[in-house]
Amino acid sequence: MSNNKQIPEVDIVVDEKAGVIREIKPEQKLRSKSGHEKRVNVGIYTILTLMAIIWLAPFVFLVFQSFRSYLTENGGMVNYLLPKTWSLDNYIWLFTDEKSLFLRWYLNTLIIALFNAVLQTVIVLSVAYALSRLRFKGRKLIMNAVLVLGLFPGFLTMITLYFLLKQLGLTQNGAIPGLILIYCASSGMGYYISKGFFDTIPKSLDESARIDGATRFQVFMKIIMPLAKPIVIYTILMAFMAPWGDFVFASYVAFGTTTNYNVAVGLYQWVNVADYQGFFTRFCAGGVLVAVPITALFLALQKYYVEGVTGGAVKG
Amino acid sequence: MASVKLEHVKKVYDNNVVAVHDFNLDIQDKEFIVFVGPSGCGKSTTLRMIAGLEDISDGTLTIGDRVVNDVEPKDRDIAMVFQNYALYPHISVYENMAFSLRIRKMSNEEVHKRVTQAAEILGITEYLGRKPKQLSGGQRQRVAIGRAIVRDPAVFLMDEPLSNLDAKLRNQMRAEIILLRKRIDTTFIYVTHDQTEAMTLGDRIVIMKDGYIQQVGTPQQVFETPKNLFVAGFIGSPQMNFLKADLVNKGGQYAVNVQGITVPLEAKHNAILNQKQVKPMPVTLGVRPEHTTLCFDDVSNAIESTVSVNEMMGSELHLHVVTKAGDKVILRIPTIDLTDSQRASLAYGNKLYFNFPGKVMHLFDPKTEESLLYPGD
Repeated sequence: MSNNKQIPEVDIVVDEKAGVIREIKPEQKLRSKSGHEKRVNVGIYTILTLMAIIWLAPFVFLVFQSFRSYLTENGGMVNYLLPKTWSLDNYIWLFTDEKSLFLRWYLNTLIIALFNAVLQTVIVLSVAYALSRLRFKGRKLIMNAVLVLGLFPGFLTMITLYFLLKQLGLTQNGAIPGLILIYCASSGMGYYISKGFFDTIPKSLDESARIDGATRFQVFMKIIMPLAKPIVIYTILMAFMAPWGDFVFASYVAFGTTTNYNVAVGLYQWVNVADYQGFFTRFCAGGVLVAVPITALFLALQKYYVEGVTGGAVKG
Repeated sequence: MASVKLEHVKKVYDNNVVAVHDFNLDIQDKEFIVFVGPSGCGKSTTLRMIAGLEDISDGTLTIGDRVVNDVEPKDRDIAMVFQNYALYPHISVYENMAFSLRIRKMSNEEVHKRVTQAAEILGITEYLGRKPKQLSGGQRQRVAIGRAIVRDPAVFLMDEPLSNLDAKLRNQMRAEIILLRKRIDTTFIYVTHDQTEAMTLGDRIVIMKDGYIQQVGTPQQVFETPKNLFVAGFIGSPQMNFLKADLVNKGGQYAVNVQGITVPLEAKHNAILNQKQVKPMPVTLGVRPEHTTLCFDDVSNAIESTVSVNEMMGSELHLHVVTKAGDKVILRIPTIDLTDSQRASLAYGNKLYFNFPGKVMHLFDPKTEESLLYPGD
């Protein structure tokens, strides 16, 4: 092998398909045959495996804890990983005990997420379409302003928003509509990816449809929407997931009114305010149940998700 | 079916770029009008203003008896074929063609009748169930045309419909458009940058440059009596040759001195110059490549030049020559009249002599670039 490197010998191969004679340089031969590539691969996969373990460990831990009974073993932290007996006690408690508000919280979260998925999708797609297709005064200004505003973290507005919502009666008892309002209100700012996707759909399709007799709305619904399926699904997915896992806004808008908590806030109350040692495994069980629908949704729609992100990225 | 009238139509973009200046044109009912010009001349912009896809900055646009400046495209009773076809990729050919009819809430039977009829005219019946992606370029173009004709529009707009096709298909589709035009007798406005398409398709041609109309006329008119240097150079292929020359006048008979030879004007042109009382002056002489003749025997009244490129086109030769004075000239010579020895003499570097009769000459004022022989509108 090392000989090959030093003596520049050239192999000649007849490529019948192209009808030419090709030279194969020793370096090329070396690369395809040597164990170098394999060694690199082994290295890469080792690193990837390590990273995967680090990432997955908390989730695996969470799942194991959720099956440890709070009745027969210990409801809090223990110094072993696998439960001694596998039980569904935690899950049963979540759904059946009268002290458990889990179902209520779950339902709250679901309502908020579903409403947001619908409203936010409509808003985001409308904004994106308008900015992609219509030319109006201040268009550039709006886009730049949104870009700058987007650089500030959303919870900077927390205090202001809380007082605004309070004026409208949309905190505590009105926390659910209040949260929907918060999530939707600024959602138009997340138009970038959709706009990028719309930009890749030729404008002449719009024009053709308009000459064919369609109104702008008909063009949007009948031509653009079917062609933008990946981005529509991506937008719905994002709009559903954001409130599903939100903690910051949900915790202070519903502050103190336990029946209006979402799942994240509610579960946190158990380990924070309530008996931390006793509720830990039940907290874990709740966490698993929160992850289930979102994981299922993601797996089912990941094809569109990738298409949406990459499709939109072609022209930003 | 409708006439289209553009009066002082102007297009100014937001960045103050004027795309179209004071466009005036009367398009007759059932006329086939072609807008032609180099890219950026404003032809597509004008078409898009007629379609309603661009706002009209100034002037009035009338379709039929109706001023339509502020009418939505969908209410202008027009159909348009786009350069990139603009077929809806997610629905079948049938649905593509039915789209406009369904928007108009036409009954299913009527839709079916019209679509199948249009498909038959265009020979695309067997593709009706396919998606646009599964069609070749020529088939897609047919669908695009079909989508327009099902509507039975008053005005048919076409924006460079053949530019995306390869040369062979383009010739074929051009012939089909001529046939189509006979079958669906309506007003056509066709935009192209290809002068061959313009010449073969148009009843009248509108030649544009930099947002201004240069000349409007039948193909024959614009070919034979170009109004200015631009039109003369744009129409015809290979392009007209331009030479520096001197116009002289001997007792009412005008003649042109060019590269050492003198060519008298024919009576018709002479009369025009006499009427305009043109003074002897330096002029730009235009001669089309196909109007030149090679001189093999008598070279006394011919221009001497050297062959630089000899292109054999089959039925004719395109000879790129450089005259003694250093001007480049293209000659288009039918091969059938040449003997073998004559052909051999036209090789690179050889000398040859050519001339042309007075009747083929075009004379332009070098300053204004206007034709001196243009009889006036």
